[in-house]
Amino acid sequence: MKSLRQSRHRPGVLLGALAMSFGLIVAACGSGDGGGTTDTSPTDESAPTENTEVIDTLTSVTPGGNLVMAIEADTSSPWRPSEMVCAISCHMVARSVYDTLMIPGSDNVPVPYLASSVEPNEDFTVWRITARSGVKFHDGTDFDAAAIVDNITRHKSALLTGTAIKDVTDVAVDPADPMVAVVTVAKPWATFPWYLTGQVGYMASPTWLAASDTDEALRSKPVGTGPFVYSDYKPNEYYKGTKNPNYWNAPFPYLDSIEFIPIADSLKRRDALKAGDVDLIHTTNGEVITEFRGGLDGFGSSEITKNGETAYTLLHVTQEGSPVSDRRVRCALAYASDAATSNEVVSFGVNQLANGPFSPDQVGYLEDTGYPMVQDMAKAQALIAEYKAENPGELKISLATTNDATNLVIAQYQKDWWEEAGVDEVTIDQIDQGQYIVTALLGNFQVFQWRNHGGVDVDQQYFWWHSSSSLDVGALALNFGRIKDAKLDELLDANRASTDPAEKKQIAEDINRLFGTECYNLWGSYTVWMLGYEDTIQGLDAGNLTNPEGDRALEGGGIAGTFYPHTAWVQQ
Amino acid sequence: MRYFLQKFAQLILVVFAVTFTVSLALGAIPNSEERIIAAKGSGAINEEEKNKLLDSLNLREPTLVQYGYFVQDLVTLDWGVTLNGNQPIKSSISDGLKISVRLMVYAQLVALLIAIPAALLAAYRNGGLFDRFSTTVSFGFISTPNYVLATVLGLLLTVRWKIFPAISDDVGFFEAPWDHFLNFFLPTIVLALPLAATYLRLLRADLVNTLQSDFITTARAKGVSTSRILFGHALRPSLFSLVTAAAVNVGALVGGSVVVETAFNLNGLGRRTVLGIFASEFRLVQITVVVLALVYVVTNFLVDIVYGFLDPRVRAGRLG
Repeated sequence: MKSLRQSRHRPGVLLGALAMSFGLIVAACGSGDGGGTTDTSPTDESAPTENTEVIDTLTSVTPGGNLVMAIEADTSSPWRPSEMVCAISCHMVARSVYDTLMIPGSDNVPVPYLASSVEPNEDFTVWRITARSGVKFHDGTDFDAAAIVDNITRHKSALLTGTAIKDVTDVAVDPADPMVAVVTVAKPWATFPWYLTGQVGYMASPTWLAASDTDEALRSKPVGTGPFVYSDYKPNEYYKGTKNPNYWNAPFPYLDSIEFIPIADSLKRRDALKAGDVDLIHTTNGEVITEFRGGLDGFGSSEITKNGETAYTLLHVTQEGSPVSDRRVRCALAYASDAATSNEVVSFGVNQLANGPFSPDQVGYLEDTGYPMVQDMAKAQALIAEYKAENPGELKISLATTNDATNLVIAQYQKDWWEEAGVDEVTIDQIDQGQYIVTALLGNFQVFQWRNHGGVDVDQQYFWWHSSSSLDVGALALNFGRIKDAKLDELLDANRASTDPAEKKQIAEDINRLFGTECYNLWGSYTVWMLGYEDTIQGLDAGNLTNPEGDRALEGGGIAGTFYPHTAWVQQ
Repeated sequence: MRYFLQKFAQLILVVFAVTFTVSLALGAIPNSEERIIAAKGSGAINEEEKNKLLDSLNLREPTLVQYGYFVQDLVTLDWGVTLNGNQPIKSSISDGLKISVRLMVYAQLVALLIAIPAALLAAYRNGGLFDRFSTTVSFGFISTPNYVLATVLGLLLTVRWKIFPAISDDVGFFEAPWDHFLNFFLPTIVLALPLAATYLRLLRADLVNTLQSDFITTARAKGVSTSRILFGHALRPSLFSLVTAAAVNVGALVGGSVVVETAFNLNGLGRRTVLGIFASEFRLVQITVVVLALVYVVTNFLVDIVYGFLDPRVRAGRLG
């Protein structure tokens, strides 16, 4: 998860993707109108047209070969599912060694994967997860309900994922069936299966988990059921996996081995691809995307825009004594900002401007949310003046960003705009990338550049916005902005319990309008993710993955910037 | 012998000062406990785990006790695992040190192989064409930041001409010599060229002075050949500045090549240290600082010994 808004350089820590990591994101693929990926034509310099053909038929797969992918960052606390700080790059690695209980399906609903079924009771307060029979972990341990219970129990007590599933009150093996795990939740939770498609759904071997409880060095040597068996890992150097010859979901995988190399700098990543050091990269860098759109001999690319993240500026809205806790100041900052300029300058105009947390393909998107899309300095100045009339004294704002040069450019723009609007002083605090998420978790900020909120169902944003996730400054909380809005809580709770698409759409739109009128965040742009690859690499479309029942995965990878390594192959 | 013992005593004193300062540094960091917990992230999930983590770092002990435990852990190589990556710190530092030492050795060798002959020629033909050319070129390399050099060479030799890899792998020399050469060539050159320029300037200046000395004039008058004058008589007394600079650069290269290591994606000690600082890997950084300090201290100790051989007056304590 990147902590930065869309920019030339993607800072390493990827907090936006962290959102995805809690099984929420599944991202991309909200609508049923076709694929979430687009393939560029070699001579197309503009935004590529959508590929309406749903699935690659894969009629000429040539098994074998090795794939080396440059990812944007390494992962903190690797690789136990309940502990890893899982951003987009983490999911790429995790998907190679672990399977999730469910995957986002092509019909925009989760479908069973490692689980053979996931069934609710009438009021969605009890979920029965049936483990797929005949599956073993890489170390020979059987995959069963006990393994599911072990993994979910660990998530419940985990610092980050525990917040995502705090409504889970109990998880236990069905006494009548050792292959069924019974999950009880505190209140009706119709959207619970989405959480089983991401980090919470990754199943690790209980044998390995137990051994690594005491041997910390073992924690970075994961054991799952996935298509690739762990072979080697060196932090900030590489992660390697070899084909699982006994993978339970034949004919996958096709590759003999896979390797992930973290390269934080986007341009360096591109250079590594062009030099032939890697076969595949992912990026949100506008310059690189533009270059690939122009066509590169010997390389292809595919862009994922659906259900992707939004780059924005996060506001700490309940900080005592902070001017940002006043709606007038927040909206003044929104009116003063010219997102179009920063988008053009730092992102080469690749991204679409955002007016809310939901991108065009996500449920809840609105053409007009009430959020100001065009700079109106006069309005901004009026709001600031009104605030100052009631609050004498200097109005100061502290804006946090990382050490990345491009994000600093955006911050400089914001400083200039906001000071012109009447803020007496805007100080820019550059925070080390590694400390950035810590700062957000602790709430030690006033205004913060961020990227987040990919996903299919609004419930995937629950813990980012619900007041139950808002803790005092100094406590680690996922509701970074410390939003406490009764109306927002009510909407989020209603959505969680609902299965009616029309009702959920209305709720999502109401949430979008609420964000627009309250100016809880300053919206920037909707992120474009691109996979760039040597043209011998095939099968990257996630829609090629099927479960044994024939259900297909959602196109676009489910998490923007990723794909399922199961389906990739090298054209010989 | 007395000279040697004096220098050894100084070494011990410096090691004590560094280890003591470093062991206290952790406690001096504001909100160190919270930072450590947050750095551990998801791993430190309850009070028991938190206390276990903090106790392992002895943060709640008195100062001298902390120091004692720190030295004990250092000496017994019980360095624990990284907070973020769950990697044994011992192997993380040894892997990083291996890469950085390689780069340092290669860069120093290449720099000296370029600088010494060039300096000899430039000094011998002081004011001549080669002298002026080498001076200009060396100024160019000294004033060019290494990240610029890395970028330009990288784009040309990796992306454009695809001669070398854009990202370097830590391939062992005995494992695959040619791949080793390909992977380490560019980072070495980027480090070596500015070094060579500096060494050339230093050695040339000292050689010019030495060549004006009476004993050189005497040697010429006695008919000693030019090569013997240069290599046998002038070079040795002119090496002080060069040896000092090279010694200082040993530590700087081992711990400070973070820009080059990052540019070529080599996970050397410098890069690991910087990433460790950003990730609040306090124990890793503490031990790395001690390791680097030891490198500096031992290197300078050896250089002091070398001085004694270069100039016997140093050994006798009668220099100046």
